[in-house]
Amino acid sequence: MSDAPLAAAPKTAAEAPRQAERRGLAVEWLRQLALPAVLLVLLAGFGAADDRVLTGYNLLNIAQQASYLALFAMAQMVVILTRGFDLSLGPTVSMVSVAAALTMAGVGGTGGSLVPAVILGIIAGLALACACGVFNGVVVALLGVSPLVATLGSMNVAIGIATTISGGRPVQGVPAPFSEIFYSGSVFGISSAIVIACAVGLVLHLVLNRTVFGRSLYIIGTNPGAAAVAGVPVRRLLVAAYILCSALAGLGALMMTARTGSGEPNLGGTLSLQSIAAAVVGGTSLAGGRGGVVTAVLGALFITILSNGMNLTGVDGYVQMIVLGAIVILGVVIDRLSLEAR
Amino acid sequence: MSATASLSRRPATPQGRDHLGRLLRIGLLPVLLLVVVAGTSLLSPYFLGWMNIVNILRMAAFLAIIACGQAMVIVAGGFDLSVGAVVALASVVTAKVMAALATSLGGPDILVVVLGVLAGLGSGFAVGLFNGLCVSRLKVSGFVVTLGTMSATAGIGLLLTNGIPVYGMPKSFIQNVGRLQFLGLPIAIYIALAIILAMAFVQRRTLFGRYVYAIGGNQEAAVVSGVPIRRHLVGTYVLSGVFAASVGILLTALVGSGQATLGGDAMMLQSIAAAVIGGVSLRGGIGRVEVVAVAALFLTILSNALNLLRIDSRLQPIFLGLIMVLAVALDEYSRRRMSSV
Amino acid sequence: MPAEGSLPASPRPGEPLLVLAGVTKRFPGVLALDHVDLDVRAGELHVLFGENGAGKSTLINVIAGTFPPSGGSFRFGGEEIVDLTPNKARAIGISPVFQEFSLVPSLTVEENLFLGRETSSAGILDSGAMRRRARELIGELGFDLDPKARVDRLSRAHQQMAEIAKALLGNVRLLILDEPTASLTERETGRLFELIARLKSQGIGIIYVSHRMREIRALADRVTVLRDGRHIKTLDAATVTDAELVELMTGRRIDVLFPTITHRPGAVAVAVENLSTADNQVAGVDLVARAGEITGIAGLVGCGKSELVRAIYGIEPIAGGSVSIRGEAVAAPDPRSSLRRGVAYFPADRGAEGLALTRPIRENVSMTALDLARFQRRGVIRRGAERRIVGPIMETLKLRPPNIERAVRNLSGGNRQKVMLGRAMARDLDIFLFDEPSVGIDVGAKVEVYEFIKRLVEGGAAVIVVSSELPEVLALSNRLYVMHHGRIAALLEGEAMTEQNVLASFFQEETREKAA
Repeated sequence: MSDAPLAAAPKTAAEAPRQAERRGLAVEWLRQLALPAVLLVLLAGFGAADDRVLTGYNLLNIAQQASYLALFAMAQMVVILTRGFDLSLGPTVSMVSVAAALTMAGVGGTGGSLVPAVILGIIAGLALACACGVFNGVVVALLGVSPLVATLGSMNVAIGIATTISGGRPVQGVPAPFSEIFYSGSVFGISSAIVIACAVGLVLHLVLNRTVFGRSLYIIGTNPGAAAVAGVPVRRLLVAAYILCSALAGLGALMMTARTGSGEPNLGGTLSLQSIAAAVVGGTSLAGGRGGVVTAVLGALFITILSNGMNLTGVDGYVQMIVLGAIVILGVVIDRLSLEAR
Repeated sequence: MSATASLSRRPATPQGRDHLGRLLRIGLLPVLLLVVVAGTSLLSPYFLGWMNIVNILRMAAFLAIIACGQAMVIVAGGFDLSVGAVVALASVVTAKVMAALATSLGGPDILVVVLGVLAGLGSGFAVGLFNGLCVSRLKVSGFVVTLGTMSATAGIGLLLTNGIPVYGMPKSFIQNVGRLQFLGLPIAIYIALAIILAMAFVQRRTLFGRYVYAIGGNQEAAVVSGVPIRRHLVGTYVLSGVFAASVGILLTALVGSGQATLGGDAMMLQSIAAAVIGGVSLRGGIGRVEVVAVAALFLTILSNALNLLRIDSRLQPIFLGLIMVLAVALDEYSRRRMSSV
Repeated sequence: MPAEGSLPASPRPGEPLLVLAGVTKRFPGVLALDHVDLDVRAGELHVLFGENGAGKSTLINVIAGTFPPSGGSFRFGGEEIVDLTPNKARAIGISPVFQEFSLVPSLTVEENLFLGRETSSAGILDSGAMRRRARELIGELGFDLDPKARVDRLSRAHQQMAEIAKALLGNVRLLILDEPTASLTERETGRLFELIARLKSQGIGIIYVSHRMREIRALADRVTVLRDGRHIKTLDAATVTDAELVELMTGRRIDVLFPTITHRPGAVAVAVENLSTADNQVAGVDLVARAGEITGIAGLVGCGKSELVRAIYGIEPIAGGSVSIRGEAVAAPDPRSSLRRGVAYFPADRGAEGLALTRPIRENVSMTALDLARFQRRGVIRRGAERRIVGPIMETLKLRPPNIERAVRNLSGGNRQKVMLGRAMARDLDIFLFDEPSVGIDVGAKVEVYEFIKRLVEGGAAVIVVSSELPEVLALSNRLYVMHHGRIAALLEGEAMTEQNVLASFFQEETREKAA
């Protein structure tokens, strides 16, 4: 295109000397340690303000609550890694909750055995979630619509489906074995929600770090052009990422349905926002290619501890909305600043 | 290639295909509008009743005002998710201020009303300014910033009222702003028309409008040409905030109380849908407010028609979502065909 | 006209308008300009002549205020100029027309002309006045340009005209034209030349960057030859011969950095017949590349040489014709299947298309080979094996320091290119497409890249090298295709492969066009 030195200018300018590299590593390190430190300070602060906070019961309670948000944050993180977004995550949760409850109530209510009812309910819920993921993935990867609009659209569709099939009312008749699996059950005294979230986190961590699929997601998010030239099947993997996101959201929806004991058409509520907030606060970069299971889980813990502490210390629920909004903005500002620091 | 070949290549194909793309998007809108109007008037006798028409126009006016602001933000390459929450905040702030002034001042209603309206608009201005400054100074994506302010703004609205409607505004405000009609039409419609005309003028004939197109079209070229980027980006968000606030005030006057539940996600989604269906490109640089206003009218009529035809209102978001995705997919499709020429 | 007699400070024709003395521009690791002197007189057309990489672009960017010079003095209109910015340059009358356009595609020509300096009062545009002025200007320039047309609907040639018109709107004393005829037709070029003559007569100085001998003959008053960032000579255009200019441009190279390569042409590896791309940048090209030799493709900016290899690899959509690899026809190539067939592509733009900058070297090297069993089993990456394979590869490429876990972002241009080359060794490949292999890297790294290519070819691989650097393709290639306007203008072999012949085939093609 132009003379070589001109073309080289931006590249060579980006060539940081070793000193800058070391400084960059230090910044990165600080950033990674900052959130756990803030978590501890937060816990200590709330613990000083109210002695119910640091009891074993409450800590387990926090872990239990955080496991739902952690799951959704991981789901969101998968698509954010590819420079995407899923605004339909919350409504997908509502939709899956209602659909699973309806299936289980339908099959189980007609006098059939409960086991097939539960199995069919789980299948119906996850299948619907995957369908939503396919829709998002196809619209984003094949039709070239921005993830924002695509998932804004599917968000509406999911809301419509959730309220229509439920009639806008909670769906009763969730069988006990279902709640047993996804909520009240426990393994070695640890509630099943925590167990499931940990298991999913472990598997997802391995998938992202040890498989070709995971590696490719990072490459796509870091440099989509290079990924395409290197023969990475970008479109197919994008669709897969959206399906994975929705499937994880669906799993979380089953867990939350088990907790409430009914299919709730408003279950998803602010989950889209919360999951994005958790992912971003944890350090998943909206520029793509940076983040992981650890960042998502830390972000989820942070937000859960914050709201748990605010609940216990009697902070108004509306103030919590304001805090959540502020955290989202703060998160992206920090992300931006750390990108510029490099 | 020869001189003649390269010359003849220019006018022929791209424009022909582009016409198709335009026809698909913008030309489709009036056609759809007519189809919905004709179909519904055949199926439902109430549809063309005067009351229903006034109702449609009023709702369309609210949506069109918000969509105008949204369109300006999107043309400049941004996004404003906070408009729904601003409607609620402005409603609450206006009502609170008026109620407080009415009891403390007791004075002339006009003063109370003007101060209340100014406070409401001010709240929208403040949110817009915050959004704009975050986007232009910190270079954070408008989408995420407004996602944050959406939550925070809604929280403030609810906090101020505890979710309970605010009464105690001067009667004259409700009578003169909310219920007053001129030539048989509520004044909200005239306000919307005025705003649309003003914005159409701004887009075509002012420096601000020109620069908003330039920034959205090619920000680097705008910088090289000496266009002040930050100021104009902030301007679009402020405009969007103030327009949303004015709808909040009009709605407050209509329902007679300040409510933190006005607007909300539905209003925000519809404003984006109207902008997108009205041919505003999410890539920035393209879009006309008057077409967006027509799209707002279309969406309102569609929703009204679905109600009259007794289609479950819960199904309506599905239509909205699909139409929005379809509109953008068509836009992308025609863009790709153009670029492959 | 732009000048409009409104320039009291403008010197009379013949007086020096711009005087650069000892201007130096240093980029990290590259000395792009080394004490360059240049003076441009009012009313003069001064041609900058040199190869790609000679420093022409850097020099005009310094003059236009895009890059601050690292040293030297800059006088304009008799005044010492410091801290020049693009806006300041425009304000004092320096108006550049670059090859990369500064137009907003969704705005009309007229709106673009006035962007940033609209005629307005109280924020309201005076469209009438601007339209009149735009029509007047376009009319005077003699351009066939509709001021109301949207820029993205225009051909490249018309966009070029809009860009020139934009540069001439306002107070212009020094106009910079960077290969302005690259996308113009014969008739439009004629118009541009008339315009240039008029501008000169109004006392406007013009800096004109071009490779084309014919244009230099038609327009130039003086010619400054640059080579390797140095000022070689400034000559009077009336007395200098073509041969003299070419010799000055290429020079006797002191640095013989090209290795001697033994070509042993074997079976046909890549055969392209009548190939055209969807964007029409390549129009009906036939090409053959054999194993054991380097096939070069030379050509000017935008001639379609890069698009040609990209189409072979499968990242440029093909509209017609056929590509066959080792005699087997490939219907629609795509990167993945090309790699499986043993075809690798090394992009010119390593930033946008090559490397994932925040990822470690190891991942960047194995990126194109993750489908192979040696890197993964059932989708699970064998990280130990990955390290054992990539480590030695980067060792042989002399990566310093040899730590393959560093992020690519922290590497120099040369090391980044080594990471790209490492990919060639991560899987079995025997057809290599290099797009500008030495762009943006220093001399030492260039030598290593050439040595690497030599090893590939002498090992029996087929290599295609696309380059805008003539000496590079001339030295490396066994056979050399010359492209012009999307077609093959010539195929040079053996003794016929000389710089003069390559340049001549551009001109021949141009004269043929002129005749047509």
